[in-house]
Amino acid sequence: MNNIAIQADKLTRKFGKFTAVDEVSFSLPYGSIFGFLGANGAGKSTTIRMLCGILAPTSGTGQVAGFDVQTQSELIKTAIGYVSQRFSLYSDLTVTENLTFYGQIYGLSNSDLKNRIEEVLLLSGLDKYRNRIAAELSGGWKQKLAIINAILHKPRIIFLDEPTAGIDPISRRSIWELLYQLAESGVALFVTTHYMEEAERCNTIAFISRAKILKIGTPAALKHEISGQLLQVECSPLMKASRVFSKLEGVIGITVYGTTMNINVKDLEKSKGLVAKAAKEQEINIVSMQPISATLEDVFSVLDTERET
Amino acid sequence: MRNIRAVIFKELIHILRDRKTLVLIALMPLMQVMIYGFGVNTDVKHLRTYVYDQDQTYLSRRLVDSFVHSDYFVVEKKSFSLQDVSAGLNKGRAQAVLIIPPKFTADILKKKGSELQMIIDGSDSTPANVALNSSQAIVSAFLQSERLIQVPVMPITFQPRLWYNPDLKSTFFMLPGLIGLVLQLMVPMITATAIVREKERGNIEQLLVTPIKPYELILGKIIPYIIIGILIAASIVTAMYFMFQVPIRGNIFTLFCLTLVFLIVCLGLGLWASTVADNQQQASQIVMFFAMPSILLSGFIFPREAMPVVVHHIGYFIPLTYFVKIVRGIILKGMGFGDLIAQVWPLLLMAAFVIFFSIKRFGKRIA
Repeated sequence: MNNIAIQADKLTRKFGKFTAVDEVSFSLPYGSIFGFLGANGAGKSTTIRMLCGILAPTSGTGQVAGFDVQTQSELIKTAIGYVSQRFSLYSDLTVTENLTFYGQIYGLSNSDLKNRIEEVLLLSGLDKYRNRIAAELSGGWKQKLAIINAILHKPRIIFLDEPTAGIDPISRRSIWELLYQLAESGVALFVTTHYMEEAERCNTIAFISRAKILKIGTPAALKHEISGQLLQVECSPLMKASRVFSKLEGVIGITVYGTTMNINVKDLEKSKGLVAKAAKEQEINIVSMQPISATLEDVFSVLDTERET
Repeated sequence: MRNIRAVIFKELIHILRDRKTLVLIALMPLMQVMIYGFGVNTDVKHLRTYVYDQDQTYLSRRLVDSFVHSDYFVVEKKSFSLQDVSAGLNKGRAQAVLIIPPKFTADILKKKGSELQMIIDGSDSTPANVALNSSQAIVSAFLQSERLIQVPVMPITFQPRLWYNPDLKSTFFMLPGLIGLVLQLMVPMITATAIVREKERGNIEQLLVTPIKPYELILGKIIPYIIIGILIAASIVTAMYFMFQVPIRGNIFTLFCLTLVFLIVCLGLGLWASTVADNQQQASQIVMFFAMPSILLSGFIFPREAMPVVVHHIGYFIPLTYFVKIVRGIILKGMGFGDLIAQVWPLLLMAAFVIFFSIKRFGKRIA
């Protein structure tokens, strides 16, 4: 069997004159987690909607589970699971009532459904809340319910639109454990997120900004690409320094972290000299200055500033 | 089929779990029956009347008695001055005033002719009309019974009879139409809000990525409300039969079949409202926007015959117009399906129209 879960080739979606997604291409094998990163309104949700078969692309092609997004959207719907950004199950139904309803919609036979519900309840640890009204679950449990609801019919691909937004760190960790288990069982996961430490958990990540994919790669490769170009400076007064340094030649962007700042530069050695000189002139006290390796957040902000300039 | 059943089942859980709405659904029809049965009574009787009897003879007192015995008038006060009489009318304590002139009896006996005056508060037209017509009838009956005039031999004996509602009870007239009113008020509202709720709470987002088809979702959501609509109609029929003794002369099965057709129109309206509205509040406002003219122009309360031509014709586009005729026809006159064809086909046409377009719109909105 073909090992490609999702194959997108120059997927484009226009709304009137506005291009929401512009020639997005990537491929995702089964058993791996694809992190889709980008600011709000960058085109993440539109891409997901096209891949889920609920929005036809204006141009380009895509295969999801081997089905064409243009012509076989109904088949795609049976092959995928979807976890939306906002809790979209019925909050006045209990955990099992929700699962039963969706299981029936996905065409599971009554006996299969019963077994399957037990399986997913155990998998997620939700069995102790099985008769609780969904509205009374905490954010983390709600999201777990949404995830097990999406895997009831054993889809081989799951789309998760910001599955951990607004959820506490401990619940987030256990949700990711659940996602890893799914990936291990051969399911392909397509995850959008704003959290950089979550992006690091993905096998492949793609940055989308204003409708275009800017970079695709493993987290390590992406970080490697810009490491050596980051200068960490501890100095005071910080905000004044940030204003001064940002005007220096060769500086792409500055991100302030508490008492230090990361300066993205084109040439590390040249910028070091310029920063030191400017600090002296403007009476800025530099405590330390060293090149560091990038985090994904740096990668993200560099990419975004590069696109703006 | 399985998908529709799943949606129906889920919808029933929603309904049963939403206790407040459930209580409203159960109480509203009964409340309306009580209001229209006890409260909205257009049979005007017992008008508060001041009597200014300046004659004070046996004949004048007999005249007053015949007013009282008619049941249309109640002597609120015996007045002794014109100031008191006009104050009574001005302050609304009297709805009518009977003024008997001095020498009333004497003049009559001398065959001189006497002038009897009645002043009526015309600010509310219904009781004023009743007072006007009944007082004339009372006086002429009085003249005959006291043998003050010769009863002439008529070449024609005119004998009007009232069929179907011989006592002209307004409950007979109001309560059958109430089935239509309550369904028109409640069904589009609960349907529209139930569908919009899925949109508002984001449930639609999840359903979109499932293999469920729009028509399965719609049917599944609508069927429970058809059941509720039928239950509402049944509760009104029961209440009016047992509490107000409204006779049901026609076939109850025909009644419910045609109620079903009207229900489908109402559901379609709700469905359509749900495709237009973004939230539950908007949905209920849209529904109310159509409910008010329906109630006023359908002939449920005001006779359509009395309306200006244009307004009368607007009534033809209101489903309730036909349904009010149907329920009155079946319940009061015992009409059958065949007698009501003229009302049934427009209603069927409307049902088909509204369902077709709302499903089409609903499908588009979802895609």
